[in-house]
Amino acid sequence: MSATPSPSGPVGPLLSVRDLGVTFRTPDGDVRAVDGVSFDLAEGRTLGIVGESGSGKSVTAKALMNLLPSYADVEGTITFDGRDVRALATARERHFWGVELTMVFQDPMTSLNPVKRIGEQIAECLRVHLGRSRRDASAAALDLLERVGIPEPRKRLRQYPHELSGGLRQRVVIAMALACGPRLLIADEPTTALDVTVQKHILDLLDDLRRERGMSMVLITHDLGVVKGRADDVMVMYGGRTMEHAASGPLFTAMRHPYTSALLETIPRIDAAAHARLVPIAGRPPNPSELGPWCPFAPRCGSRVEACTVEAPPLVDDGTGHRSACFAPLGAGEA
Amino acid sequence: MAGSGKAHLRAADEVLVRVEDLVVEFPAGRGRTVKAVSGISLDIARGETLGLVGESGCGKSTTGKAIIQLPPPTSGSVHHGLVDLTELSGEAMRRRRTDVQMIFQDPISSLNPRRTVGDIVAEPLRVWGPHGRDEQRALVDRMLEAVGIDPEVARDKHPHEFSGGQCQRISIARSLVVDPELLICDEPVSALDVSVQAQILNMLEDLKAEYGLTLVFIAHDLAVVKNVSDRVAVMYLGKLCEVAGPDALFAEAAHPYTALLLDSIPEPDPTVELDEGLSEGLELPSPIEPPSGCRFRTRCPHATERCAAEEPQMRRVADGHHVACHHPLVAVAE
Ligand SMILES: Nc1ncnc2c1ncn2[C@@H]1O[C@H](COP(=O)(O)OP(=O)(O)OP(=O)(O)O)[C@@H](O)[C@H]1O
Ligand SMILES: Nc1ncnc2c1ncn2[C@@H]1O[C@H](COP(=O)(O)OP(=O)(O)OP(=O)(O)O)[C@@H](O)[C@H]1O
Ligand code: SF4
Ligand SMILES: [Mg+2]
Ligand SMILES: [Mg+2]
Repeated sequence: MSATPSPSGPVGPLLSVRDLGVTFRTPDGDVRAVDGVSFDLAEGRTLGIVGESGSGKSVTAKALMNLLPSYADVEGTITFDGRDVRALATARERHFWGVELTMVFQDPMTSLNPVKRIGEQIAECLRVHLGRSRRDASAAALDLLERVGIPEPRKRLRQYPHELSGGLRQRVVIAMALACGPRLLIADEPTTALDVTVQKHILDLLDDLRRERGMSMVLITHDLGVVKGRADDVMVMYGGRTMEHAASGPLFTAMRHPYTSALLETIPRIDAAAHARLVPIAGRPPNPSELGPWCPFAPRCGSRVEACTVEAPPLVDDGTGHRSACFAPLGAGEA
Repeated sequence: MAGSGKAHLRAADEVLVRVEDLVVEFPAGRGRTVKAVSGISLDIARGETLGLVGESGCGKSTTGKAIIQLPPPTSGSVHHGLVDLTELSGEAMRRRRTDVQMIFQDPISSLNPRRTVGDIVAEPLRVWGPHGRDEQRALVDRMLEAVGIDPEVARDKHPHEFSGGQCQRISIARSLVVDPELLICDEPVSALDVSVQAQILNMLEDLKAEYGLTLVFIAHDLAVVKNVSDRVAVMYLGKLCEVAGPDALFAEAAHPYTALLLDSIPEPDPTVELDEGLSEGLELPSPIEPPSGCRFRTRCPHATERCAAEEPQMRRVADGHHVACHHPLVAVAE
């Protein structure tokens, strides 16, 4: 099936995903949301997962977090620090989620209890997961709020989520996700609902925290600009599949997949002149019902060859860890 | 704007719509008011696209809606030619609305799910149009074609059978069917996938040329605004900060707030100088009790006492480029 994912440096991967597949068994039929996704993530690195709406980014993240509903069939293996996490059985083992692996969602209210004070919510996290004493936990909560750059943290501890702006709420959620000292933080569109001015601060904060704690991060976004310069590796998804996966540099400068290239071309650029004609991609992203054992981008692809509509191109490593799934990759004619 | 003033307005005979001293306030309980728009003046020349940018809650949608009198502003005037729309009766305004159309933010959910696409697009004609049934139908088909939707396929279907981009096209067709002069588009592409966004933006440019449209384009994405606009107005907390042509605005932002917005774009433009010190004061102040003087001063790295005491007025930086700031980043031409 898929090629061996990119080598991830000297220390073996912290997270290793192989042939992840997710199918929702719904009353209207099966929805194949994620299909054959494999990747490695080394300790201390940031993986950016990019893709348009419905490409399977959140479902991938939820599979890692064990948050999918019971009607979702999950295939494949997820290995975290050598442990097969899908096989974790005892409550004690399953403690892993929420401690070593935590997640920040797009809407901070998903993670916040509207009727509980901010301070109590963070402290509860620490007490439940780490067994800290009440007094210890409150002191740590204050530290965390300070660390995530919340002004007047002492006052905020006593406030309720609705008393905070969207940006501050997201900082609180980040503080909670960090409370137990995770080794991997998954941030699913952490800034999509926020203004650009706030977005930058939150992304910078996540970056700083990751560096300072040697944490790994999966940063999910639909905005290529967000991962550029922030992610070490970038994985581009479309129709539930990996289209391309490479270190950030080569992904942007030597992209091999026609979808990655079309996506970059179609975005209005701030450094282009006003009224520069945009390069649209014909059609629209597929619904899950339109997916099949062929390349999901084939109906819209300018480089399409016959094979594209007959079978799904395998994800091929070019030998440098740059992987792409395309029968007619860009630059294939050269060299 | 950040200040007030009208130095940026052009001669009355050059413009299609002229908004002066627009104020929109909403009751906020306990005798308080939300000062959503506080004395904005703007004009839009015929055939031009005016881009309106600023952070969430700065009053972009409220300004757009006040232009079409939904609801009429608390005070101020909106001249369309010689007529002040704020002085028209409800009935007279309804008739005028064929000239001035708005595509509301999130049109996808504003398309009536129980009606067919044909009915939805024809709706403005039913209210305002003089046409007979057959004529209406022909017009609707022509508009659907113009926005790239096959009328044969779409006419009898319902909105949920279409993608977000297609629904956006349908709402554009609906607003164009009465042949308006001015079309106000409120975030027309922000809910769309980026691979579809360019289709809609190119289509708007084409329709604009074909139908001689004048556009107000509201968006928070600066690259999108730069792409479509002939003139850009930057708003902050109910005030106007800067008005300029798109290339000038992005090349030499004069207002510290414009610089902050540009600096925040995820893919930083290497030609934009980073303005240090902008990391403090994250919080957007409340529009119920906006700061005195310059409303941006609580987040501004250049603020002085004067900024708290006195509201900056619009001043000229260059032809077609105006800024409301006591300490602009580009010298003003006094
Ligand atoms: N609980 C569910 N039941 C059925 N289908 C689902 C469920 N959750 C997600 N899907 C489907 O799976 C596909 C992938 O969804 P996913 O949420 O991963 O997309 P995404 O890439 O995160 O998109 P977005 O950018 O919009 O968040 C979509 O087609 C979605 O409709
Ligand atoms: N009907 C209303 N009643 C009370 N307050 C309102 C009403 N409509 C808007 N406001 C307030 O007026 C201010 C301006 O809102 P507006 O919707 O115009 O902002 P915007 O710039 O369009 O923001 P966004 O980018 O989020 O769409 C906000 O503080 C908003 O909460
Ligand atoms: S320098 Fe003063 S007037 Fe100019 S933006 Fe800053 S606070 Fe406002
Ligand atoms: Mg998602
Ligand atoms: Mg709005």
